[in-house]
Amino acid sequence: MTENSVLMLKGLPTAWDTVTAALVSPSTPPVPDEAVSEALTLLCTKGLGQYVEGWLLETLQVSLVSDVAPEFWRGLQKPDVESQEQDRAKALLEVFRTLLRRLQPFLCGLERLGSWQDEGRAGLVGPGAHGLRERAFSTIRAILLFSPPPVLQQRVLEFYSRTFSVYMSQIGEQVEPDEVAAESDVNGTCTGCTATPQVCWCQDALQQLQEFSHILSRLQLLERVSSEAVTNILHRLIEQRMEQRCRGEYERSFLSDFNDWLEQVLGWLSRVFASEVGEASTSSLLTDGKLDYVGCTILQRWRCHMQQFFCRIYVNMRIEELFSIIRDFPESTPAVEDLKFCLERTNQRQQLLTSLKSAFETRLLHPGVHTSDIITVYISAIKALRELDPSMVILQVACQPIRKYLRTREDTVRQIVASLTGDTEGCSELASELSRADPVTLETQDSEDEESDPEEWTPDPTDALTDKTGSKRRSSDIISLLVSIFGSKEIFIDEYKTVLADRLLHQLNYNTAREIRNVELLKLRFGESHMHYCEVMLKDVADSRRINTNIHEEEARLPEEEQPPVPLSAMILSSEFWPKLKEEKLELPSAISKSMETYTHRFEKLKAMRTLSWKPHLGSVTLDIELEDRTLTNLSVSPIHAAIILHFQDKGTWALDELSGALGVPQELLRRKLALWQQHGVIQEESTGRYSILEKASSRERPDQGIMLIDSDEEGDSNTTTQSEQREEKLQLFWAYIQAMLTNLESMTLERIHSMLRMFVATGPGVTEMDVNELQAFLQKKVRDHQLIVSLGVYRLPKTTQ
Amino acid sequence: MASQNLDPAAASSTAALKGNETAGSVSKGSVTKRLQQELMTLMMSGDKGISAFPESDNLFKWIGTIDGAQGTVYEGLRYKLSLEFPSGYPYNAPRVKFVTPCFHPNVDENGFICLDILKEKWSALYDVRSILLSIQSLLGEPNNDSPMNSAAAELWDNQEAFKAHLHSTYKN
Repeated sequence: MTENSVLMLKGLPTAWDTVTAALVSPSTPPVPDEAVSEALTLLCTKGLGQYVEGWLLETLQVSLVSDVAPEFWRGLQKPDVESQEQDRAKALLEVFRTLLRRLQPFLCGLERLGSWQDEGRAGLVGPGAHGLRERAFSTIRAILLFSPPPVLQQRVLEFYSRTFSVYMSQIGEQVEPDEVAAESDVNGTCTGCTATPQVCWCQDALQQLQEFSHILSRLQLLERVSSEAVTNILHRLIEQRMEQRCRGEYERSFLSDFNDWLEQVLGWLSRVFASEVGEASTSSLLTDGKLDYVGCTILQRWRCHMQQFFCRIYVNMRIEELFSIIRDFPESTPAVEDLKFCLERTNQRQQLLTSLKSAFETRLLHPGVHTSDIITVYISAIKALRELDPSMVILQVACQPIRKYLRTREDTVRQIVASLTGDTEGCSELASELSRADPVTLETQDSEDEESDPEEWTPDPTDALTDKTGSKRRSSDIISLLVSIFGSKEIFIDEYKTVLADRLLHQLNYNTAREIRNVELLKLRFGESHMHYCEVMLKDVADSRRINTNIHEEEARLPEEEQPPVPLSAMILSSEFWPKLKEEKLELPSAISKSMETYTHRFEKLKAMRTLSWKPHLGSVTLDIELEDRTLTNLSVSPIHAAIILHFQDKGTWALDELSGALGVPQELLRRKLALWQQHGVIQEESTGRYSILEKASSRERPDQGIMLIDSDEEGDSNTTTQSEQREEKLQLFWAYIQAMLTNLESMTLERIHSMLRMFVATGPGVTEMDVNELQAFLQKKVRDHQLIVSLGVYRLPKTTQ
Repeated sequence: MASQNLDPAAASSTAALKGNETAGSVSKGSVTKRLQQELMTLMMSGDKGISAFPESDNLFKWIGTIDGAQGTVYEGLRYKLSLEFPSGYPYNAPRVKFVTPCFHPNVDENGFICLDILKEKWSALYDVRSILLSIQSLLGEPNNDSPMNSAAAELWDNQEAFKAHLHSTYKN
């Protein structure tokens, strides 16, 4: 070491001191710039310049660990839980202020060192001002927030919530529900800070917010400290708002409402992130809450985040409520539209399907629900879901359980047919649907796809059922969907025939205007050929009216004594075209049968080669009963009732078995029928099984005995055999064929039995074809009943029946 | 009062045979209709001991089954027959023969049956059901005056021996 170098070494500590002092304590009497430069040059020539940077960061770190950070946390803890919220806010701000004050020297020093490095003064090299700042801030974040106690988040959250409500109240929006806000207004408290007006600290809060944001931004802690709290607050608020405003409310759209609100919230956010929004807008913040934040990436990010979040929780809530929404459709259209909008932005279709399906199963598809209600909900579901998802996939998948369930209900067809024809109250929708539908579109439904523009084709959503039918078959037409529950329209048409027959036979007044309209409408849907039977039925009624008039005119021309004793009007049905009528035996009194015979003769004259076969138990009789002291006029009763009372005309007292013999009616049935006359007080049961006429009302013992005599009209409601009876008959018929073919052909496979049945069983009214699955189920049942044996897929009769 | 007007034309039209709508001549169509109807009658009659069914998809060839009537030597035995309907049915009689060998005075070794209603006394009013019932009763009451199987006719008087021979030769 030379002498010169020794001299220089002596100067080194001084130079170091000068430089470091200039960097960390700018407050002490400022070191003249030239002296610092000189010292720096000296250090650099000795190769010590590079250590300045390391020393400075080290000092910062040591200071943070030993003093600043503990002081920060202590300061944060200081106001305890019982303290005023306002104090806590102040304390929060204070600790950050202190933090900034403590770190300020280091930051300035770094700044200065950085600028030296940037200038390359005295050959100093390093990361530069920007790089140094980054390193310093990561050190600060690392040490200060390495494992922050929850108290920081709590305080920040509290502070932000307060400033949020202050902000919102200032721009006229209450965060609390309206009634709470109104209440606090009465108490005279401020809606923002919930303090009395005298001590309102709203303005303070906003100023604190501004300063707080500024400090955080200065320390580059803003994102780190605020994001979690802000996210938290926003999520909570959106959820709260949704619960309060949207739940159970389907008749208003919430999207625009939400967007307005979002704008306001963004105003607040712009204050939180004020410093990063930029200098220009910070100044405008003070005057009005709204600012032009377009282009502020940070706000854009928050906006996207909130929209996304809104969509997600909105969809979640609506999925939960979807059943009710469907039930309330079309009143709930706005909710469906909102849901559609949001669902397109979240990937929750699968969730929706699963939830809706199970909602249907638990709320709708159980024995306690009336079939017509299920159908009504199904119709609503069709309408609502085709709004929600025009591809109809949701509709198809979610309603699968309903369709399956309806198939198991016996009265489904009858209900649907009844509501198609507008018979049932409540479910008139189908009737209007029937008359509304544009038949042309129905006809061309199948060829629709070819006509539409191929450019507009969109693939099915991935959750579509992969069945062969494809999207082409997914119809949204309500009636087609209902009819297709059973796979064939024949069942519907058969049922409609039954309903029509009932209606025609019940009114007996030849008035068919309404039925003709219905049949015409159904023809548009099902095609002419299918409705042929119904047309014949209607024509029968019209013909009957004509024939009747004809015969009555002819009778009127006869002299008095030749006129039939009982005037008759007949409904003449072509038996082949009508559903099976109930068979009951009834011997009519001779006067009536004579009239019938005369009528038949006249008919035969009118229509050569035809004759009438009477159904004496159907129809209605209008009669007057004249008794000694009273007259009952204009009673309308069934033929059997009339026949009974007619017998009492000749003989006042009858034994039950005697009367049963005369009428050809079982005693039990007769007893029930007699009840009607007992109720009218015309006949009384003298002793068990003996009935006599009550000529004098006064002789009636205890007129109001209170005994409920049940008239037996319960089965008289329908003149035609029911669907299930017909089905039973059909199965019996099929079984006879199956037995015969197995007796003669020994053993057969399912397919062969099926094809034989198809070939040889004549289909006609009431006998429809059986599909393979139905047949298989039927055969399996017979196997279980030991009436059949099956091995290796071949059916045969067991030996014992041979 | 309601009544039903029976229309014979409509009655037959509803019995139209499925799958035979394309069948050629009108007469053939009416024969299949008649056979279809007979099949339905037979199915619905529920007679015990007689049965018949088309052999395949050809409605003109049936297989019949007859169980020997109770109280006769044929009791417990089951016979299969074949019935072939000519295109002139029902104006011409069907050809009926035993498929299961049948030891009987009026049945020959080829299964041909000597029964008046299948020959000169045939009438269009007979149907499959009446044929089968006639054959069933013929089993118990043979016409021994014009036997086709004279050995059987001779043995008939000795019912015990007839039965023993019958059962020893019966094979289904």
